[in-house]
Amino acid sequence: MSIFSPDVARDFPGEGTLDKRKSRMGILFILPWIIGLVAFTILPMGASLILSLTDYNLNTPTEINFIGLDNYVNFFQDPIVGVSLGATLKFAVISLPLAIFLPVLLAALLNSEFLAGKRLFRLLFYVPYMVPVVSSAYIWSGTLNTETGWVNRLLESIGIAGPNWMYSIDWIYPALVLIGLWGIGNAMLITLSGMQGVPTELYEAARVDGASYLRRFRHITLPMISPVIFYNLVLSVIGLFRYFETPFILKGPTGDPGNSTLFFNIHLYKEAFTFKNMGYGATLAWMLFLMAFTVTIFLFTTSKYWVYYSSGDKD
Amino acid sequence: MNKKLMRLGFGGFALAAALAVGPVVAQEPVTVTWFVGLGAGGQPEQIEAQNAVVEAFNASQSDIVLEIQIVDNEVAYDTLSTLIASGAAGGGQAPDIIGPVGNDGSNAFAGNYLDLTPIIESTGYDLSQFDPAAVESFRQVDGALVGLPFATFPSFLYFRPGLFDEAGLNYPPQEYGAPYVMPDGTEVEWNMETLREVGMMLTVDANGNDATMEEFDPEAVEQWGFVSQWNEPRGHSTLFGASSVVDENGDAQLPQAWTDAFNWFYNGIWEDHFIPNAAQGGSDLLAAGNAFSSGRVAMGATHLWYTCCVGETNDWDIAALPSHNGVVTAKLHGDSFRILNSTDAPEAAFEVLTYLIGEASPTLLAVYGGMPVNEADQPAFFAGLDERFTQGVNWDVAVASLAFADSPNHEYSMPNYLKAKDRIGAFQTLYESTPGLDIDAELALLVSDLQSIFDEVDG
Amino acid sequence: MNAYQSRQARLGMTASVTLFACLLLSAFLLPFVYGTLTAFKDKDQIVASATGSIFPMTGETATIDGTAYPIYEVPMPDGTVRELALIAGRRNDSTFIDPADPTATPIEWEGRWRQLEQVMFFDPKFGNFGEVWNGVNFPLLLGNTMAIALFGVVGTLISSILVAYGFARFPIPGKRLLFLLLVGTIILPRQVTLVPTYAFFSIIGWTGTWLPLIIPHFFANAYNVFLLRQYFMTLPRDLDEAAMIDGASPLRVLLSVIIPQSWPAIVTVGLFHIVFAWNDYFEPLIYLLGKPELQPISVGIQRFNFIYDQQPHLIQATAIIGLAVPVLLFIFAQRFFMRGVVVTGVEK
Repeated sequence: MSIFSPDVARDFPGEGTLDKRKSRMGILFILPWIIGLVAFTILPMGASLILSLTDYNLNTPTEINFIGLDNYVNFFQDPIVGVSLGATLKFAVISLPLAIFLPVLLAALLNSEFLAGKRLFRLLFYVPYMVPVVSSAYIWSGTLNTETGWVNRLLESIGIAGPNWMYSIDWIYPALVLIGLWGIGNAMLITLSGMQGVPTELYEAARVDGASYLRRFRHITLPMISPVIFYNLVLSVIGLFRYFETPFILKGPTGDPGNSTLFFNIHLYKEAFTFKNMGYGATLAWMLFLMAFTVTIFLFTTSKYWVYYSSGDKD
Repeated sequence: MNKKLMRLGFGGFALAAALAVGPVVAQEPVTVTWFVGLGAGGQPEQIEAQNAVVEAFNASQSDIVLEIQIVDNEVAYDTLSTLIASGAAGGGQAPDIIGPVGNDGSNAFAGNYLDLTPIIESTGYDLSQFDPAAVESFRQVDGALVGLPFATFPSFLYFRPGLFDEAGLNYPPQEYGAPYVMPDGTEVEWNMETLREVGMMLTVDANGNDATMEEFDPEAVEQWGFVSQWNEPRGHSTLFGASSVVDENGDAQLPQAWTDAFNWFYNGIWEDHFIPNAAQGGSDLLAAGNAFSSGRVAMGATHLWYTCCVGETNDWDIAALPSHNGVVTAKLHGDSFRILNSTDAPEAAFEVLTYLIGEASPTLLAVYGGMPVNEADQPAFFAGLDERFTQGVNWDVAVASLAFADSPNHEYSMPNYLKAKDRIGAFQTLYESTPGLDIDAELALLVSDLQSIFDEVDG
Repeated sequence: MNAYQSRQARLGMTASVTLFACLLLSAFLLPFVYGTLTAFKDKDQIVASATGSIFPMTGETATIDGTAYPIYEVPMPDGTVRELALIAGRRNDSTFIDPADPTATPIEWEGRWRQLEQVMFFDPKFGNFGEVWNGVNFPLLLGNTMAIALFGVVGTLISSILVAYGFARFPIPGKRLLFLLLVGTIILPRQVTLVPTYAFFSIIGWTGTWLPLIIPHFFANAYNVFLLRQYFMTLPRDLDEAAMIDGASPLRVLLSVIIPQSWPAIVTVGLFHIVFAWNDYFEPLIYLLGKPELQPISVGIQRFNFIYDQQPHLIQATAIIGLAVPVLLFIFAQRFFMRGVVVTGVEK
């Protein structure tokens, strides 16, 4: 299957006129997005593409030159690109599995027929996601402080010397994962809404057949919510390429400790805003786009093997 | 159906559009925008004073409308970058005046400042009211004069008498050149070594042992002797002498005094434990980064602007900075306002600038904590501080510190400034958070990295 | 297994599942509790909490000649423990005074005062909330935020539902490419699009108004379209095809077949947008620069985050007040989560 092939023919063989009417209808429905795309996305993207072909630096505002593909050549020679992609990849290995599976498990727990006080639990697991960034930044640097943070005080009370979360190359990723998990309420809620959509009679039928909870979860819930898991997966992967906010709040663009938090998007920010290299920053942005887009296309091609849509459609 | 749809869409659009109520009055006066956030200016009393200054200025004349934009410091640099870059792209809204901002902050936007020389000449603005050296400090390498003297912030040693009393120690000297009197009555030179000794005696663990004792537990420190607060490495090392990481040929270097300094600081953190490390400094115990204000640090070397944030308990006074190799260096900060060269109305902006550093300066300096450049204005300024800090701070020390200002200034320009500064910052995090470093090897690495960073622009 | 036994088993299951959830939740909320307690402290209490009690405590003091001295529990040579005021602490001996009899001769005590227990009382600073309420114009900020969030939520729901419906149910030429493009627009980080977008809004004169924060949401948001499209595609086609055969227009099908089955997803999207609008910081900041009367709460909260002297207790207090509205909305939204199941279950 090619992603780029129009699927009109496949869906409606031999129904020419209805086809056209339907596709006109569809275009009408997606029109708002297309207008928005042109007005608010294509424009900035085009601007940054042009910018990426210049040496525009905010500190030399009067000297803007077109330098062709020099920035792109520079990209492949920039040692920090490797460093930042490495950091991003390392972090992905730790955080991606958790970002995919934990929301499902949590949503299953919060959807369990055996859980009393569901609504309260759902609210409380969602609350941290609503906490404003300036507040959670303080909360986390306080909670994970080596000397006086609650996590280490707790560990100390059971006789474990707590790690140096924020300043050790070995512990910074676990720390970032912990902070990330705190915002799990978002993915949990999406998964939960997926579970809510599973027709109840499917479960009833399975129960009549004597299927255990695990079997029902494996054979009904998981396939039925696979579109939502797919959504979480795609967004998590894109989110990793764009990973910025948490490390930036904790460490700024420094990459401390030892460049471990110099993720690709932080490198981009640093070039564009700290070093004022707007031209090269735009280049990094376009490379980020190309890399993430390639991975996204790949994810979409895998989806036909494991994502199940009740409507019978395929991606 | 489609019409219904359209109505829905346009209804929302129109509703939202109606919200955009902007005055569509034809304005004759020039609008000048003043952007605050790169340095001081974000605290409530500062915001209030700045707003009052804007109002007073607008009431005083009708040719210029002054508008103020106050942005939180954390995002001020990004905001200004965005404004300048979009201005260049034709969406012109970059502010006209920025500040107050120090040397270091203004280096971030080097290349964007208006040379004031032509306007000074055409308006006949009187430069003789300033110390010529102070004026020259705003001259760029290319000869452009980009600022005028406004606020001066000498540095000195803040200390907590109560903690000295508790330790049975004498206070640090409040006169430059005076010795320090040890508990046994002997007089020693007030130098960095003495500061280290006294600092260790003022560093106490939870059991009441001080850092000179064998029983001292460095894992349970509850009070520290010394901190060089809110300075970057070039500021720390300037306690040991004024210098620069750039030598006369434009190459990277590290002067011996600064090597001594970083060894002193590193050992102070990890061997002698009288200086908090990064994790301790960020903990709630040391007020999450504002160490001296927590009351848990006996001495803090920093500037006059720290009166902003020293805290509400008035148990502090100020003293002389110690010497190194017989020389005292009290680094100096000077903040001012600058005009961006993208401004449409340079004359109007200059008029505002001279108003801010002239008529409005008493109001502004009082809230920024900046010492007036003009000596005659100083007594009133310190009297204002005494109203806030009733314990009776010996401000003579602050004035005396001016004589020991660092030259070259610790924020002296470097080739490829922003990248070089970033590399120096990484060194600071490293030594403040990592025990067991070979500090001399790290310093050698720093110099060679700086050299490559300098070379990026030379070659 | 009889009915009684199965009820017993059910109860046991419920108890253990709920207990597990409680344990998980307490670990999960630990940082939040830390932040909440901070909102009830003053700066000195935050410093004291670093090594002492996690609660907002204040030391008892005795005021003698206008100076307040802290009170400690002092073990005396005779074995009794007395509550005395420390008037002069030294390293290995200290001077105390009996607060009940301040004129008596001060008591010289051998030992280290740091090892003594200070007499504390529970002293939450409710005043923090009053201080931030007065320091920040909450009614204005809340009103602004509500308005921005509500217009945005209306815009994003209408447009995203339409677009998602288009993608989920219609044979559009080049649909896969278009949809990938839609997902692709999520990729570009905001830092990149910021400058051109700002320049664009500035040229059309929208800066200084709410328009840049509201209007783009009327043109569908990629996150929401993707999520809704995923959801719509899990809905079997039989129902809408039946409706179409009965002559219903596509919009009719959307309104009476698709949307009623999709409330959980729609409510999720609405909720996300409100939370997003509540916490979105940088864009409101730069688009509403110099217009404090139009700024939302996210920008207002930042006012306590000064360059040097952070006020963590005030930041936390502001955050807690600001949370009230999204929390209420969430509680309200939960009703729809329950309803979603029923509708889907019955109709099929």
